Amino acid sequence: MKCLTSGIVVDNHEIAENIYKAVISVPNIANQCFPGQFVNIYFPDSVRIFPRPFSIAGVDNDAILLVYKVVGSQTTVMSHWKPGDNVKILGPLGNSFGYSGQINQPVLLAGGVGAAPLMFLRDRLSQDGIKPLFFLGARTKSQLPFLSDSKSELILSTDDGSIGSNGLITDELAEYLQKKDNPVSVFGCGPDLMMKTLKSMPFSKNVSVYVSLEKTMACGLGLCQGCIVKNSSDSAGKHYSLVCKDGPVFNLKDIKFDD
Amino acid sequence: MIDLRINLGNNLVLSNPVMTASGTFGYGDELAEILDINQFGGIVTKSLSLEPRIGNPSPRIVETASGMINSIGLANIGLEAFLKQKKPFLSELTCKVIVNIAARTEEEFGTVIRELDHEDWIAGYEINVSCPNVKEGGIAFGTDPRVLERLIGVLRKTTKRFLIVKLSPNVTDIAAMAKIVQNNGADAVSLINTVYGAAIDIYTRKPKINTIIGGLSGPAIKPIALANVIKVREAVEIPIIGIGGISCGEDVIEFMLAGASAVQLGTINFTNPCVVSEILEFLTVYMKQQKLTTISDLIGRLIK
Repeated sequence: MKCLTSGIVVDNHEIAENIYKAVISVPNIANQCFPGQFVNIYFPDSVRIFPRPFSIAGVDNDAILLVYKVVGSQTTVMSHWKPGDNVKILGPLGNSFGYSGQINQPVLLAGGVGAAPLMFLRDRLSQDGIKPLFFLGARTKSQLPFLSDSKSELILSTDDGSIGSNGLITDELAEYLQKKDNPVSVFGCGPDLMMKTLKSMPFSKNVSVYVSLEKTMACGLGLCQGCIVKNSSDSAGKHYSLVCKDGPVFNLKDIKFDD
Repeated sequence: MIDLRINLGNNLVLSNPVMTASGTFGYGDELAEILDINQFGGIVTKSLSLEPRIGNPSPRIVETASGMINSIGLANIGLEAFLKQKKPFLSELTCKVIVNIAARTEEEFGTVIRELDHEDWIAGYEINVSCPNVKEGGIAFGTDPRVLERLIGVLRKTTKRFLIVKLSPNVTDIAAMAKIVQNNGADAVSLINTVYGAAIDIYTRKPKINTIIGGLSGPAIKPIALANVIKVREAVEIPIIGIGGISCGEDVIEFMLAGASAVQLGTINFTNPCVVSEILEFLTVYMKQQKLTTISDLIGRLIK
């Protein structure tokens, strides 16, 4: 059940260039959220009025973890959070990756700070004794949220070759999947371009792809109907889905990015 | 004992003057987990049309200084699905439920109202003649005096229920429009709908809204809304429902002093979804501090 509540910052520090990890004690949300879900953070700002949505990057007892990149004024405010600060927060919002019970081999794919929701999924897989492959790419080494990981088998790539292979992480994924014929579920999150690249890739029948999307949201609750993504067919009688309510996780075959 | 009740006439009494604005509150059910909906005097549902509408393409919203621009295009599930899916929740509410209706033609308005008139849980209708984001219907009804006159006349004959007409600020003389609404028998006017607004990405040189020009809402438009309420108050006697950037209890009082009998909360539902309890608490504190017992005594009591 969603709740609008007050969290307390436990820890907040930079883990990569402009990428921060915050730990927020908020039991009502931490105790009931699933990988893929997100929270809204509210700011006492009368000029920039929207709350900002963030994927939950993990749970640590009564706290949730957020991994965020400083890109604007609100994330700058967040980067100044100190332990003990109060944060107005709404969650958990949206659907989830819904992995539990799947027999497919899970493979994680992320671009930059898009790793956030997948870190949570990786934790839950780890609790189930699964150590997934984690394809993680960024422009350059300093923009990777982490460079090593005990809970996954990490495959890195960078646009400039400063660590891992030199090129796109989606190419690494494609090469890996070529050799697979068992059922595989890819869980991905990253910049729009990466999502579009994924959509254009010819996946074979044994591969299912689930992506977590980001869109400008005013409410995060399905009220404003602002955060639409186009459905790949109108068969369900619905032309658009809402990223906040129907998503943020979608089966890649159900959506398209051409609008 | 503080009396927050508002009697709007034609059998519509609100438990307090705070309502929700259409299109900012879904059908009420989305917020039920985090909020007691019955705290509102009334809720106004998302614009309903006879057939479902898919709405406009992306991008539909953009944040602007102290506000936002939207161009949703009246996306809604249509009359049949509304009655099937939303009635179970809405009909159980104790606050008043007003259904906002948008249509392309006079006939469509009439058909929707005749169908809804069978539903005893609906307290009234708000007629949307002011949506800036659709090509047909919407604002086309609300900017031409003769078209508006004819439409309201027909709708008044269609239903005895409480009839609100929601007006656009994007006209030369909103008071003239309000007079037409009054003269043709509607029970109240609500104002303002969104103000024409635009925003441009200077790097891509593209508009930040699919229709290029959309509707501006939020605290940025509050002074515009308040000025329009004052103008309309001077022109008509029927109740005014004030809308436009209302974000706190102080804003509610301001609109009531300007002449509004009730108000609707819009964009604030996105940015502070549980604000209604804060507002009601403020209203009680303010009344006590002003040594007043009946909130309706404040309506139009602006000292000029």
